[in-house]
Amino acid sequence: MSVKSAYMKSDALRGHLDALLLATVDGGPLHGYAIIEALQLRSGGVLDLPTGTVYPALRRLETAGLVTSEWSTVGGRRRRTYRLTRAGQRALAAERTAWREFTTAIEGVLGGGPWPA
Amino acid sequence: MARVIDEYVTSLRERLRGPEHVKEDLLAEARDSLDDAAAAYRSGGLAEEAAQRRAVADFGPAAVIAREYQGLLALAHGARTLRTLLLVPVAHLGWELNRGFWVGAWPRFDVPPPDWYLAVARANDSAAWVVAAVAVASLLAGRWLVRRGVAAGTLARLAGAVSAVSVAAVLSGNLAIMTATALVDAARLALPPPVAAATLVPMAIALRLAVLARRCLLLTPAS
Repeated sequence: MSVKSAYMKSDALRGHLDALLLATVDGGPLHGYAIIEALQLRSGGVLDLPTGTVYPALRRLETAGLVTSEWSTVGGRRRRTYRLTRAGQRALAAERTAWREFTTAIEGVLGGGPWPA
Repeated sequence: MARVIDEYVTSLRERLRGPEHVKEDLLAEARDSLDDAAAAYRSGGLAEEAAQRRAVADFGPAAVIAREYQGLLALAHGARTLRTLLLVPVAHLGWELNRGFWVGAWPRFDVPPPDWYLAVARANDSAAWVVAAVAVASLLAGRWLVRRGVAAGTLARLAGAVSAVSVAAVLSGNLAIMTATALVDAARLALPPPVAAATLVPMAIALRLAVLARRCLLLTPAS
């Protein structure tokens, strides 16, 4: 992958980071590193951004009341785990709807061959 | 024993300023994440030092990451400053109760005071409550704005500005009523020592708030 396309990818990703983070904790509470692993796994390794930016983003979501977090002991280690709030669930549902509308519109234009067929 | 992660966390710590417990909480979480990442690389076959280096490289350059954390620290400080504004009406009420205890109700004026004096007195009495309402509204607005994607540092600066204006309003209210009283009926300013001394409490709170408000600006990361 060229440097330019890698840059574009991380730039495009940034705009969606909040929604992606909300989606990863939708299934249940996760700690930060598990969220990062889930992002990489679910994107087939394509979503790869500095892991250090994930934590400030999670804390910002917490300030916004979309997730809550607490220290708990997981596997014998103290970890900060994040869970979705009701407001977070609503925000995620709205993001999903907006994303579907967006991809449907783009697919309609980019997805087919030359137009009119 | 490789100390790559230790050194990275130290360099983050040295770059961050703000509420100590928030800072240590953020750093503890960062450290956990780096340890997890290094463990994953070790189980993938890397040696200790190489695993730590990869973990640190994945986390991102300390200068860049620290800037994001610094915004959060400034925001935490800003929220704390706004919450401290809620002490203003408490101090005002405390002062009035204390004054009531030592002096009782204000004696009547010999001649009815001019309308402007009553307006200044009313403004000064309500200033503390207005400030508290503004603080609560700002905290709620901040939560809404952070959801809209407004940067943490910008919100911290806003919190600082709101607090600075509030403190200025409270202090000018106090100054105005004292000056007005001196002009209308100077004898009223001769308060018993316990009442005069109690005036120091709201003053100390106002000064503390001025310092906190200024720090909101100092803690905001350079953009």
